[in-house]
Amino acid sequence: MSSSREKILAAARANKPDEKPLPTVPDFGGDDSTERFTQVLTSIGGQVVWIDGPEQLQPVLKQLYPESRLSASPLFPGTVLVDALTSTEVLADVDLAVLPGEMGVAENGCIWLPEANMLHRALPTITQHLVLVLDHRRIVATMHQAYEQLPSTGGYGAFVAGPSKTADIEQSLVIGAHGARSLVVLLY
Amino acid sequence: MNHATRAAKFVGDADRTTWHDETLWFVRAKRDKAVYAVPEFQDLRELASQIKDHTLSKLDTYLEQFEEQAKRNGVHIHWAADAAEHNAIILDIIRQHNATRVVKSKSMLTEECHLNPHLLSNGIEVVDTDLGERIIQLRDEAPSHLVLPAIHLKKEDVGETFFKHLGTAKGEVDPQVLTEAARQHLRARFLAAEVAISGVNFAVAETGGVVVCTNEGNADLGVNLAHVHIAAMGIEKLIPRLSDLAVFTRLLARSATGQPVTTYTSHYTKPAAGKEMHIVIVDNGRTKQLGRPDFRASLKCIRCGACMNTCPVYRRSGGHSYDFTVPGPIGAILSPNIDMKKHSSLPFASTLCGSCSDVCPVKIDIHTQLYKWRQVLGEANEIPASKKWSMKLMGRLLTSPKAFGVGGKLARHGIKYLPYSLTHARHFNVWAVARELPTPPKQSFREWYQQQANTPA
Ligand code: SF4
Repeated sequence: MSSSREKILAAARANKPDEKPLPTVPDFGGDDSTERFTQVLTSIGGQVVWIDGPEQLQPVLKQLYPESRLSASPLFPGTVLVDALTSTEVLADVDLAVLPGEMGVAENGCIWLPEANMLHRALPTITQHLVLVLDHRRIVATMHQAYEQLPSTGGYGAFVAGPSKTADIEQSLVIGAHGARSLVVLLY
Repeated sequence: MNHATRAAKFVGDADRTTWHDETLWFVRAKRDKAVYAVPEFQDLRELASQIKDHTLSKLDTYLEQFEEQAKRNGVHIHWAADAAEHNAIILDIIRQHNATRVVKSKSMLTEECHLNPHLLSNGIEVVDTDLGERIIQLRDEAPSHLVLPAIHLKKEDVGETFFKHLGTAKGEVDPQVLTEAARQHLRARFLAAEVAISGVNFAVAETGGVVVCTNEGNADLGVNLAHVHIAAMGIEKLIPRLSDLAVFTRLLARSATGQPVTTYTSHYTKPAAGKEMHIVIVDNGRTKQLGRPDFRASLKCIRCGACMNTCPVYRRSGGHSYDFTVPGPIGAILSPNIDMKKHSSLPFASTLCGSCSDVCPVKIDIHTQLYKWRQVLGEANEIPASKKWSMKLMGRLLTSPKAFGVGGKLARHGIKYLPYSLTHARHFNVWAVARELPTPPKQSFREWYQQQANTPA
């Protein structure tokens, strides 16, 4: 054990104030409608497209991304096979990743994407464009309900809210910083 | 050099000062809009404040719980008492992997510890990947804001920097074009990096995992491509439960930029198969601050930057005038804890209007603490002499009605006759540097009042 560990813990113990209670966080309820989800996601640069069901995926994708692209997906045989061991060089060429989302949050338009749904941890950010497929019944109102429903966060997982963006140059919003340049959510 | 002297440089360019002021007020206005859209926002602030108070009151227990869980997840845990140890640990991990190419996503803690110069001087190439951070890294500057590190720069400045370093066209000022150039430039660095360093927004004791919030996705891209992930976290980043994240993620982005949530809220709990994850837990003065009852609440800060965006002094003096990693109102509380002498002027860089406390998502009593620091500094004799004497004099004047009356009379008649060169002498009257003195009234309020009382209605 390092001595710094002991030093820090001892100082924290000595300097901490009297114990204060940990509050219970109420469920504030809220609007869990697909309309709210769609409105918020659109306002942050994402796009929502309704499909009848997962079987309708490929025709819709063809329509949305007409040029042939290097796609990767666990939902259909894409043009690139990606798994946890895929090399960076191969990943870097993917321009469309189609991944199943677990849950949507209406108040902020984010979608929970656990590691198990990603093929490779870097895929959702290294791809040029990201499509998330989501069952509309899996939309909850707020982050409280979202975390309530997470069994665990696995090894890695992210709430993704829209495409990558930045406003670091004079506060002008630019979509497509380092991660995916666009996000389409296919709701069914 | 004190805050006022450094600020003088910034306000020398009046147009830029106005622009800076308006830009930040625009962000503050966006924050207000986002906040009013959440009916329970004030409840969330109270909850966040209580959760942080509770965590600080059991910090040792939660640190141990966090360590135990993280180790169970296969994460390497390191403890750093100060900045030097933090830097040494990180360099050591990089060396163990014979790595030389490192990407970093935004972390104020590594800034606080001056990690970049340490790594660079040891032959490690370290690239900041947040666009704003990269811009200032290329310019060899420090961030001037917690969330908007390059907020002091105009697009012309960025265009000039990219022309010099990234080969964009001379005179290019379109943010879209400049961002694309940075995307291409940084993508090559991401793909080549062997080690990725990230900060930590929240560390969850219950799961042993850390959460990083970004809009650009640079943390995720870096961490998930590199073989080794090093997360640097201050001990105050802890929260007890996974479900507490709901409270904090609802507050953070709304308070920071007025967004409903950051684009990526990423949970790193275990290393990917065959890869390594390290967490460096850093004190660097934090346990000392914990032991100061008047100032420990500053450890609740979640680094949203809202207090800066709203502060009339910050908006008009710029982040660099604070000369501290964390500028603005919260920086003015944190800095004297680190070095009371060097930062003695910062608690005075506030109007004490209380706007900072009003917007703080974890309800830190920022302006009260600034007021308390002034007293501590006064007792420790760290107040600038001119300020101290004028305050003493003023104090005496205000407690003696007679002296006040005489002083007022002298001033009313005196100002008229005093030569301009004296009333505007820089050393005697700093207040008059950019202002004219008012025309003195003929009568004092007291004289007027007495006259009214004596005049029958
Ligand atoms: S003190 Fe409060 S308002 Fe200021 S950065 Fe910290 S959390 Fe935000």
